[in-house]
Amino acid sequence: MTSGVTSRRGASIVWRIATASLLVAILAVTLLFAASYATVERSTHEALAATVTTDLAGLIDIHASGGEAELLRRVADRRDVVNLEDGRRPHYLVARTNGRPIGGDLHVWPPLSAALSAEGYVTLPDRTPVYARAARLGPDLQLLVAREYAQDRATLKRLAQIFLGVGAAIIIAVALIAVLTARGLAKRIDRIQEGLRNAAEGYPAALESPSGPGDEIDELARQGGRLLARQANLVRLQKNMSDHVAHEIRTPLMHLDGRLAAALQERPEPGGTGALTRSRGDIRSIVAMLDSLLDIASNEGRRGDLAGLAELDLSALLGDLAALYEGSVEEAGLTLETAIEPGVTMLGERMQIVRLVSNLLDNAIKYVPAGGTVSLKLSQGPRIMVADDGPGIPFEDRGRIFERFARSAGQVSQPGHGLGLALARAIAQRHGLVLRLADSPRGACFMVEPEA
Amino acid sequence: MSSLNILYVEDDPLAASAVQALVGQGGDRLAWEQSGRAGLQRAAADQFDVIILDRMLPDLDGLSVVTRLRAAGVETPVLMLSALGRSENRIEGLDAGVDDYLAKPYEPQELIARVKALHRRASGKVHGAVIIYGALECHVKARTAFRAGRHIALSPREFELFRYFMENAGETVTREMLLRDVWNMNFDPQTNVVDVNIGRLRRKLEDGFTTPALETIWGAGYRLTACE
Repeated sequence: MTSGVTSRRGASIVWRIATASLLVAILAVTLLFAASYATVERSTHEALAATVTTDLAGLIDIHASGGEAELLRRVADRRDVVNLEDGRRPHYLVARTNGRPIGGDLHVWPPLSAALSAEGYVTLPDRTPVYARAARLGPDLQLLVAREYAQDRATLKRLAQIFLGVGAAIIIAVALIAVLTARGLAKRIDRIQEGLRNAAEGYPAALESPSGPGDEIDELARQGGRLLARQANLVRLQKNMSDHVAHEIRTPLMHLDGRLAAALQERPEPGGTGALTRSRGDIRSIVAMLDSLLDIASNEGRRGDLAGLAELDLSALLGDLAALYEGSVEEAGLTLETAIEPGVTMLGERMQIVRLVSNLLDNAIKYVPAGGTVSLKLSQGPRIMVADDGPGIPFEDRGRIFERFARSAGQVSQPGHGLGLALARAIAQRHGLVLRLADSPRGACFMVEPEA
Repeated sequence: MSSLNILYVEDDPLAASAVQALVGQGGDRLAWEQSGRAGLQRAAADQFDVIILDRMLPDLDGLSVVTRLRAAGVETPVLMLSALGRSENRIEGLDAGVDDYLAKPYEPQELIARVKALHRRASGKVHGAVIIYGALECHVKARTAFRAGRHIALSPREFELFRYFMENAGETVTREMLLRDVWNMNFDPQTNVVDVNIGRLRRKLEDGFTTPALETIWGAGYRLTACE
């Protein structure tokens, strides 16, 4: 029936919301990670610096009260008591100002100025990274206290791993929920869309879902369903009305025709020109006019309605039609030129398309004087052209020839109701085509082509 | 052809009596039912050659009758007779499973011609490679036509027309039947396109002969005669 029910994902609101929520989740997890990491990193750095500073301050006090010998003894003691309380192994260096070591486990003075009490991250000669602080204790004595911080790095790394794991889980969960929700919503909205599209194309449509949760979307579907039901009812009423009018007019005409036929049997009218015969002809003419009027209304009402249309081979159809009309054209002293491109198909109602083209051909045959040419052309589109080299349509009539009962002054001598072109245009519209009068150097040129 | 057994479902007594008189003239038998349900029961119970069904019936409309008949496996050809004669109405009828659709008012002769044609179609008569009727001969494979042994030059479409008349020799052929079967078209032309084509064929068949080959049946169509 219809195809392409799912809307393009890129253009779908539902999918945009799903993508946005996923992006928000990723952003939130990243920011949270960055903030936590920075905080933890800062606090571990502060703790490390404080430990080093406290240790250094203690040793400065010892030097102040006990002198150099006491300091060297205490430094050696501290080295012996391997302090692993927080995994920060200590290192010390007591040296002369020229850097010559006199105590502690280190032997090389790192690039830290004791005079400035500098502190910072340095690498020991054995490549161990430490946080160190230096101090000048006397004119020719300086002290360096350092702590390893590998444990702090490990803690931060673990923190990062936890964030990576939990963050990924959160993002996956959000993505999953977003996709499932989006898919569910998209499905429900697609259902409504499909229903509306079917209704617009004239097929039966259901918008409401019996298993819906009764939310806003269900309410939308319910109201849409009411509207469609109302519209379907109007269409049905209009059709019933047309059928009833046709029936109520045709039935008495049929009885009248029957009585005329019976009377004709009793008193035949040779030559078929008597009053009774002509009256029977009039009855048929009235019926034909009524049918045309109702057909115009019906075709206009079913504009854009695809129900009842089937794929038809327009090339073959016009070929058959040309063969049918060839005799009539020649009989009228005209020449029929055809240029029918093969393989042109369209979605249409066969009987109506035949009616459309035959009305145009009938018109040409009726108005083009003997010796003229009528041409029937078909190309992809579909684009149908019926042109002639007759008198053409007077300029002042061009605007109204497609109106019902429109007949120009020169045409009143010809039989007909002036409904042929109105019906042809209505049939074209019902098929999503337009019938128009094209510009031509001479004669009339009718074009049937897809709506722009 | 033997007489036909026809079922006629129509609620309008005036219309029914006209058809009854018409069918009686031809020697066929007509069973008349006045409502859709009665017609449906009758169609299922008895054997008919053709069913003529009015579309607008008081209880069960004609379209539903056909749908139910087809659903029940009854394949008797149905001609729908209706005051609804627009192409839209015809399409509805054909979609429901009707074999032919005739709009009121109609010519009595046309109704009879169509009923007979429906019966002929349903009995599926197969024609040989050469069809002979009176002095006329149609060589189907060679696509040639002869009258009294004299070759008649026909265009491809004229030959198709001639062949159709030969296959339905002696029977009345309506304009709609010709349109449907020869031109592959289902519509009711408002002009004399069909008659013009018949006229051309007739001239070729009768050129140089004294007796007519194609006869016009007023109000119904044409009939090929067993000419000399």
